[in-house]
Amino acid sequence: MTTLSMHPELGLEVSVGSIDKELRKLWEQDEARTNASLMNLAIYSEAPGALEKNSAAIRELTAEHACRAILVGIDRDAPEASIRAWITAHCHLSHGKKSVCCEQIAFALTGTATGRLRNTVFAHLASDLPLILWWQGELSPRFEERLYSLVDRFVFDSADWADPRESFGRISDAIQSVTREMVVQDLSWTRSFQFRVSVAALFDDPLVLAALPEIEAVEIVHHPANRQSALQILAWLAVQAGWRDGMELDLAVQRRNGNKEGFSFEGPTGKTIAVTVTADESSAPLGLVKLSGGGVTVSVSREAGAPYLTRRIETPGQVVEAPGPVDPDAPASLIGEQLSRGGKNTLFQKILPRFRQLLER
Amino acid sequence: MTNPFREDLVSRSRPEPCTVVIFGATGDLTHRKLVPAIYNLAIDGELPPGVKIVGFARREKSDEEFRQGLEELNRKVSRSGHDDAIWAKFQESISYHQSEFTDADGYKRLAERLDAIDRDRGGKGNRLFYVASAPEFFDDILTQLKGAGLNKAKDGCWARVIVEKPFGTDLATAQHLNQVVNRTFHEKDTYRIDHYLGKETAQNIMVLRFANAIFEPLWNSRYISHVQVTCAENLGMEGGRGGYYDKSGALRDMVQNHLLQLLSLITMEPPTDLSADGVRDEKVKVIRSLRQWDTPEKVAKNVVRAQYTAGHVDGQPRPGYREEDRVDPESMTESYVAVRLLIDTWRWSGVPFYIRMGKQLPKKATEISIHFKDAPCVLFNALPGGVPGSNVLVLRIQPDEGISLRMVSKIPGTSLRLEPVKMDFHYSTSFGKGSPEAYERLLLDAMAGDATLFARRDEVEEAWKFIDNIEHAWHQSTTPPPMAEYVAGSWGPKEADELLQQDGNVWRRL
Repeated sequence: MTTLSMHPELGLEVSVGSIDKELRKLWEQDEARTNASLMNLAIYSEAPGALEKNSAAIRELTAEHACRAILVGIDRDAPEASIRAWITAHCHLSHGKKSVCCEQIAFALTGTATGRLRNTVFAHLASDLPLILWWQGELSPRFEERLYSLVDRFVFDSADWADPRESFGRISDAIQSVTREMVVQDLSWTRSFQFRVSVAALFDDPLVLAALPEIEAVEIVHHPANRQSALQILAWLAVQAGWRDGMELDLAVQRRNGNKEGFSFEGPTGKTIAVTVTADESSAPLGLVKLSGGGVTVSVSREAGAPYLTRRIETPGQVVEAPGPVDPDAPASLIGEQLSRGGKNTLFQKILPRFRQLLER
Repeated sequence: MTNPFREDLVSRSRPEPCTVVIFGATGDLTHRKLVPAIYNLAIDGELPPGVKIVGFARREKSDEEFRQGLEELNRKVSRSGHDDAIWAKFQESISYHQSEFTDADGYKRLAERLDAIDRDRGGKGNRLFYVASAPEFFDDILTQLKGAGLNKAKDGCWARVIVEKPFGTDLATAQHLNQVVNRTFHEKDTYRIDHYLGKETAQNIMVLRFANAIFEPLWNSRYISHVQVTCAENLGMEGGRGGYYDKSGALRDMVQNHLLQLLSLITMEPPTDLSADGVRDEKVKVIRSLRQWDTPEKVAKNVVRAQYTAGHVDGQPRPGYREEDRVDPESMTESYVAVRLLIDTWRWSGVPFYIRMGKQLPKKATEISIHFKDAPCVLFNALPGGVPGSNVLVLRIQPDEGISLRMVSKIPGTSLRLEPVKMDFHYSTSFGKGSPEAYERLLLDAMAGDATLFARRDEVEEAWKFIDNIEHAWHQSTTPPPMAEYVAGSWGPKEADELLQQDGNVWRRL
């Protein structure tokens, strides 16, 4: 872990026991008009240098989402157990004056003393506001019941996981075991939001909707780092359209062939639907979702780095194209988008079993 | 067959592909509000693919000229900025149709054009007609639409009409217009727009009342002393507004529609559901329950009208109302109105509601304040000086959208001194993300067939009934109540202050 005292981004170092007192002092000095808060937003990371990086992310996030931010950095391999804390505030200007200030508490923990995260760190939550925990990196043993039972919304990025099958298993177990509702939010799923909205918008067209039972081919292109997003959008298509698992294809599309994966489904009318999922280094996180059949082809596509999606409908004799917004690429911005939308993310839980099946195949 | 991909995705009605025909396409509303709203909806991906816009107006223009004019304004006013690449694609969906509003042939050509668009786009025929022209053309446009058969939806499609305000100038004209509209379109396909209802805080009124258990039990005459609705404008008749305004006035221009709509949201009973008619049924009951000021005496007692005289606003000299450009020097049109209303329902019996609207006031602000009754006169109220001010809940509609609650608190120290403190919630600082323009939400709702935020025929007519009584007392009575005066830059005439003083109340200081 880096020497944190060298990083002014974290603010004033304080003793853990005096955090509340020091926060009060901080506000007394400040002329900010509003200490606004909609949530507790905690970020957990075991990566070196994460506290400073996440402090910068919080600075960005709090421009739109007023919160109490709690940053946690842990070096579990350190031999000694220790805990240090820093406080600061992120303020944003409106009409030339500070208008919103959000407080941030950063904790650096070393060693493996159990219970400190839950007992010490989460003792500093703002009361009556939901706790959103953004877990960065692999799920470590610290992801356990007594931790996640405190959480209202658990955010992670499955693109970071070496073994998503195992980790999603633990997430599913957690969802089952908690007695209070915990919303789970995979940033890989968030990355596909605008693609899903765009696909849905294309099927608002009655002609396209009429062709849905005739769909026989699906093509998805993704960046290699975003396979989970691709499989989640496929799971979503299958669940929503009522496609059953089909026989494995051994024809044109092999199950795995270089950077391509093949899946097959059976539509409600018994029609076979061949799906190709292609990993492409030059693609945006999600580059293409294309469905065709019944004389209609609809696609949502995005060039890498492009600021808009392209929605396209092709029917005999005509092509209709329209732009659509994209999901941001940076994780902090993705979280921001998700926080703007709120909701209980029931759709993700609905598709999760099918997605896990796809991961197993 | 419903679209399965919409399920659980977003919690709003989905718009359907359609062609939007805007009558009065060369006007300011189209350029400043409507087309930028549709452009922003396109950027946000809210529009279904294939939405087309046809501008209908009298001036000779090519498609290209029309698009250039729209682009010019969009660059200046678009909420999310202007992207050349997106505009280039977006503008392909825009075309211009030149015709007189009374020219039947022009509407036939429009019908042919719309059919051609539908053919090009693949056989759909949803049409949204937006009547954004000057009000005197509403009648002609609706009649001609019917003449050309454009009011009839094709099988499986819809034809809807949005009618801009003012919806009539009195009850008779509103009833006539309603007859024309309803002869042309079904009531369910008629959308009378009031952009105030598209504002975030207006939509939040129902959420505040019915999603928070702490407010609804207090929302009645037992706990609420009175309610004030203020719409203050710091502008006068700049930019040639005097011509229109002098024929209208504060009462008809603002109170009849915007302010009574807001009042009905504040005072309605909880609807049985959130359907358009579920909500509108309750709103109209409130307007129907307004006690009528149907004699000059009652009007004189409960309504104040006034005109501004020369003064200063924002440090700048301003002329008096009668000296304004395009205003009759003998004008008897009010630039300010204050009304005391009583709602004769069980919930609101005895609670006065005060509405005030004025031009050339010190600042621009629209807000609703709910004033709760004082705590009982024991304990702290029994102390010398009593409690300084009761609880006030303020819903700010514009420009600084938000909610605040005033409560009494003890000043730190050994003596018992009480002062009011304010808890303040600003949309802009708690939710950093900007709200969409009201027209965006309303256009989307109309495309989706959701009429909740649009006024129904009976709402409009009931509101006019109330307003007409006051107008008759002012302009048709032999003993009309006087026209008061206020200095430009002040908060209105002293008579308006006296209106509240009679009930032991004062206008809230903004």
